[in-house]
Amino acid sequence: MAAMEGVAMQDQSQQQQQQQLVPPQPVAVERLNQAVVQQLNLEAVKTRAISLFKAISRILEDFDAYARTNTTPKWQDILGQYSMVNLELFNIVDEIRKVSKAFVVHPKNVNAENATILPVMLSSKLLPEMEIDDNSKREQLLLGMQNLPIPSQIEKLKSRIDMIGAACESAEKVLADTRKAYCFGTRQGPQILPTLDKGQALKIQEQENLLRAAVNSGEGLRLPGDQRQMTPALPMHLVDLLPVGDGVHTFSDASGMYMKNTPPLSSNSIGNQGNLLQASGAQLIGRSAASPSAATSATSFDNTTASPVPYANSPRSGTNMMNTPSPQQQQQQQQQQQQQQQQQRQKMMQLPHQQQLLAQQQFRQSQMQGLGQLHGQHQMQFSQPMGHQQFQGRQMASGHVQHGIGQSQLGQGNQLNRHLSQFSGAANSALFNAAQGTSNSQMIPNMSATVSSQSLLPRMQFGLAGNNPQRSHASQMLSDQMFNMGASNPGSMIQQQQQQQQQHNTQGAFGNMQPNAQNLQSNMVALQNAQQNHPNFAQQRQQNQQ
Amino acid sequence: MECVVQGIIETQHVEALEILLQGICGVHRDRLRVHEICLKNNPNLGNVASEVRLLCDLEQPEPTWTVKHLGGAMRGAGAEQISVLVRSMVESKVSKNALRLFNALGYKLDHELLRVGFAFHFQRGAQITVTVSSVNKMLKLHATDEAVPVTPGIQLVEVTAPASSENYTEVASAVSSFCEYLAPLLHLSKPGVSTGVVPTAAAAAVSLMSDGGGTTL
Repeated sequence: MAAMEGVAMQDQSQQQQQQQLVPPQPVAVERLNQAVVQQLNLEAVKTRAISLFKAISRILEDFDAYARTNTTPKWQDILGQYSMVNLELFNIVDEIRKVSKAFVVHPKNVNAENATILPVMLSSKLLPEMEIDDNSKREQLLLGMQNLPIPSQIEKLKSRIDMIGAACESAEKVLADTRKAYCFGTRQGPQILPTLDKGQALKIQEQENLLRAAVNSGEGLRLPGDQRQMTPALPMHLVDLLPVGDGVHTFSDASGMYMKNTPPLSSNSIGNQGNLLQASGAQLIGRSAASPSAATSATSFDNTTASPVPYANSPRSGTNMMNTPSPQQQQQQQQQQQQQQQQQRQKMMQLPHQQQLLAQQQFRQSQMQGLGQLHGQHQMQFSQPMGHQQFQGRQMASGHVQHGIGQSQLGQGNQLNRHLSQFSGAANSALFNAAQGTSNSQMIPNMSATVSSQSLLPRMQFGLAGNNPQRSHASQMLSDQMFNMGASNPGSMIQQQQQQQQQHNTQGAFGNMQPNAQNLQSNMVALQNAQQNHPNFAQQRQQNQQ
Repeated sequence: MECVVQGIIETQHVEALEILLQGICGVHRDRLRVHEICLKNNPNLGNVASEVRLLCDLEQPEPTWTVKHLGGAMRGAGAEQISVLVRSMVESKVSKNALRLFNALGYKLDHELLRVGFAFHFQRGAQITVTVSSVNKMLKLHATDEAVPVTPGIQLVEVTAPASSENYTEVASAVSSFCEYLAPLLHLSKPGVSTGVVPTAAAAAVSLMSDGGGTTL
């Protein structure tokens, strides 16, 4: 191969030399046959040879680099490049071979270099090994035909050759098709670089601009405001960080409160008020750190120890009492709340179980509240076993608030506020001040108690036979004279208690807490506690401590 | 500070590019799945809008967060002669509370995107990182599981290398010489300068992907 290549090169150079030498002399020069010249295609061959040379040297450089840097070469890649080089070389040599018949080795000078090799190159006798090879191959070929007459031998051989030729041609065809499919170089000439047509190039340009703009400056990635609804199913890495609500953007002041939270609580605190209220309720409930009553744990809602003190010092209760919202405000709040219920629902799925309980309770409360509000301020329009009239009665004054099934509690919340506001100012402020100090967790356990205490207000006696120790508070509250609670249907009370608990929180809180999520949270609890922390605080305490 | 160049490549050639990069870099690729949240502060809070990016690496078993601030690019005659973009960049690992913190500080979500692809980290004159990724956008806020590519047929190639004010010229030259290795497949340029695709990309990709047809001579 190398020899042939050398010969080809020599041929070319000799050709060129001859042609160069010829012009000055007017003597008839020996020119190659035009056909041969064309077939030879000197220029093209030269170009290809040079490019091949470059490719090989590049590969060698790469190998060198590999050796220097001690990295493992990528063999597949190298094999690929080798195959390219191989192919190209074969093409060039093939081209030359076609015309090499026209040339003969013609060493001009015999010098020390050539002397030894010339006889071998010029001899036509095969080398001994080659001769043996040749003979054995010939025998193989003519295996069955030695005895036949020569012409038939020739015939057979010819047919064999034809068959082989046909097979080769079909193989060549397949190869050519594959080459075309993969844009390999054809055997004629150097590879033509594929150019993109204009339309394609434009499209790509357009796409490229889109992509670059998106990456560098966020063009095309900004969701319009109305589409910025948080997906209910947040990806795992965001689930703990974002509330299900409208606002990554709004970050409540409750963040301060968060920091006291233990991690298990979901970040419900961020978000709109409604959400916040409910969410924070869950969080508050779950909070165990920083709470003076360290006994409360994340699951404390259900397990709250019957702490006798109804957290009179809770700021929540105080604020609740102070800030009875106007009916209109309350209504709006509850409407908001309802809108967020959807999200709450979805969010609940993500909460841990304990918090789910809480959240569910809150959710129900909020639902109730919203319904209650929507149906009209302080109008308990839900059909309730207790009877509608009772509800209305309740609304009128601090009086007979019938605790309807859950729903009534919505109204209760409102009424409670009123009740609370009717308390003496001194008592209110006292409660308020007292409430400032306590932590939420303390207040939370009393939620159920406060709820039940609300029901007490309307003079219903709570048959607080509930499983919940918190409810036992309510039973104590029942006898609170200040509230002038009459005995109500104990059975219904039991029913209502659960719902009361749930609903109670949100309603009052919403009423009072508009601006500040913290307040909302506190109010929520405070509301519940407020009932307990009614001016008859001492009394309640006693009762609770029983 | 960092030196950065960007380029694009058609998605069909990404595998070939990976083979090429594997051969050049000598390391194995790392998978890349990063949720990038770009936060902008409220203009009322300051004279200049400030932008900060939170990157959440979702490929780790525990998502890790990084906060990154990209500053302005170097300007001037010297900068124009350098073929890479040199800009200030500050990066730090943070806890997952970063998002909440920035929200509390008043930063609002401006846009977010999800990069999915692979990256190579290696040392060649400088600590170079090459990322080849499909840039995806989310149709719903934070819905990374439902992200769709911004340009399905084209992926982004980014070559970055951290630098300091003392050595940025060396880093820049290291990055640009590395980029020449990728010449058969793609052209890289400063972010914002469009390059188009390279006409030899198809052929180069084919040769890289092929097993090689060996013809014996």
